[in-house]
Amino acid sequence: MIESHIVVQNLSKTYRVPEREPGLGAALKSLVRRRFTDVDAVREISFTVAPGEFVGFIGPNGAGKTTTLKILAGLLHPTGGEARVMGFAPWERRHDYLRRISMVLGNKSQMLWDIPPLDSFRVLGEIYQVPPAQFQQTLDELIELLEMQELLTKPVRNFSLGERMKCELVAGLLHRPDVLFLDEPTLGLDVSMQARLRRFLAEYNRRSGVTVILTSHYMADVVALCPRVILIHHGQLLYDGALQGLAEKLAPFKLIRLTLRNGHTEEEILRAAQNDGENAEVMEQENGQVTLRVSRAATPAITARLLNTLPVVDLSVEDPPIEAVIDQIYQEGKVEA
Amino acid sequence: MRYLKLIKHFIVIAFQDVLAYRMNFWISLLYSLLNLGTGVLGLVILFSHVETVQGWTLASTLALLGVYLTLGALRGLFIGPSLEALAGMDGEVWTGRFDFTLLRPVDVQFLASFRYWRPLALLDLALGLGVLGAAVVQLGQTLTLANLLAFLVALAAGLLTLYAILLAFSALVFWSPGFLFTWLFDALFQMARYPIGLYPGWLRLVLTWIVPVGVMTTVPAQALSGLAAPPILLGSLAVALAFFTVATLLFRTGLRRYASASS
Repeated sequence: MIESHIVVQNLSKTYRVPEREPGLGAALKSLVRRRFTDVDAVREISFTVAPGEFVGFIGPNGAGKTTTLKILAGLLHPTGGEARVMGFAPWERRHDYLRRISMVLGNKSQMLWDIPPLDSFRVLGEIYQVPPAQFQQTLDELIELLEMQELLTKPVRNFSLGERMKCELVAGLLHRPDVLFLDEPTLGLDVSMQARLRRFLAEYNRRSGVTVILTSHYMADVVALCPRVILIHHGQLLYDGALQGLAEKLAPFKLIRLTLRNGHTEEEILRAAQNDGENAEVMEQENGQVTLRVSRAATPAITARLLNTLPVVDLSVEDPPIEAVIDQIYQEGKVEA
Repeated sequence: MRYLKLIKHFIVIAFQDVLAYRMNFWISLLYSLLNLGTGVLGLVILFSHVETVQGWTLASTLALLGVYLTLGALRGLFIGPSLEALAGMDGEVWTGRFDFTLLRPVDVQFLASFRYWRPLALLDLALGLGVLGAAVVQLGQTLTLANLLAFLVALAAGLLTLYAILLAFSALVFWSPGFLFTWLFDALFQMARYPIGLYPGWLRLVLTWIVPVGVMTTVPAQALSGLAAPPILLGSLAVALAFFTVATLLFRTGLRRYASASS
């Protein structure tokens, strides 16, 4: 058995944040006496990641994704539980460890703004003690994959967001990390730049075998890159497994798309579908096409009844789109049984 | 050795940075030259009127000023820019960019202290060394090799003390990330311009033991004039090491407090 690269066990992180009521009076009061509340950012989550895996970390804003990532990168101490990355306790920040990981943040830059990126890269090469030959080889490879030859000699200040992000990726990968933490790498990028970076990340992961944990709010990133997702919400782990399984496990419903020979009212269709309190809901009705939302368990029975009682021309059963599933979970904050 | 190489890289980057904005560069150069000019002029005027102050001869007062300017310039050259980048509203601790410093496989304190250089401070350094040179000329035959060595030891102790105090003030940023604590220090450092003997007794105690500007400037200047006895030299070295140790501990404690700014 291959040993896991990342092992997280009952990891918890509680922040102590000052509490402040609105208004000037409260502000003045807080100068003298501050009150604190504890916020549980991460609550006892456990998972493991094998070498070379590309794992998507998803969850709404404030779910605890970045906190978890920062603990694994050694930036934060956990309040409870255990985490080991390649056998290291990340928060000890041993140099042997830091040399083998990298963190790329979509909203923070590690580039020096007033000089060409090549100069920043050289300093990073020195900081990470990359041998000159390896440095050049890695740089050439990354530059080619990201198609950014022409950027090397211009000051970073003049770059577009997408161009800067390419530089951030090169900066993060020059020392050939074994584990890469990517926090919202496509944040704010246009669609085609997102797609390009995705292609790059997939290709780089395949070539180098780097273990990647990615957080993103763009489901397209996760769908394209991550065979496995970990969903956290309110600091708790809700799901860990294949992306496809997420819909099956977490969305307790399916969509039935119907095309009917002649027009039927919503009531007629629902009457045909429902039986014994099995729930069905019309989502859309347009030009003889109807989309029904039905509970997963009742899907076979409802499908059979629809085919028997209505003049069906076409019928298909689908999983709901992943965005809809995620949205439902984010809003309801729990997984329905 | 590796760290020296890194420092070399940081300096090269700093020069590139300065040269990136041509207009900025020329204006800063002009500003520094003006500073240098008015500084020298001020000294000439001062010493055309005064001969001795509380036993300090003209030459040793000049040496004191030289030390003050040199230390200030060295601070402006590297300690200041690096440590000040941590604090303030757009400082690295406030914005969370300090994450990248923590992620590097390099000693955090080293990186936090030596990353950024301000090459234009070299002009201020020239001024400081020039004034020191003038002091040496004034001292004439009284300057011996032993005095010079003592001076260098005292200056190193002074620089270490200055660094330690700035580090300690900067470490407070982990408790209050928006505030530039080094401003507090600036006000006190102004006092290092004059011999601490000039100040009233209680202030002298503060300036010797709490913010030891005496160690930073008075002792090196005395050493240059042969007025610093070995115990004073050893004392200032001890003070420097003690401050350095305490400041390092404070910085480490602060680091543990650091929870990077939210995404």
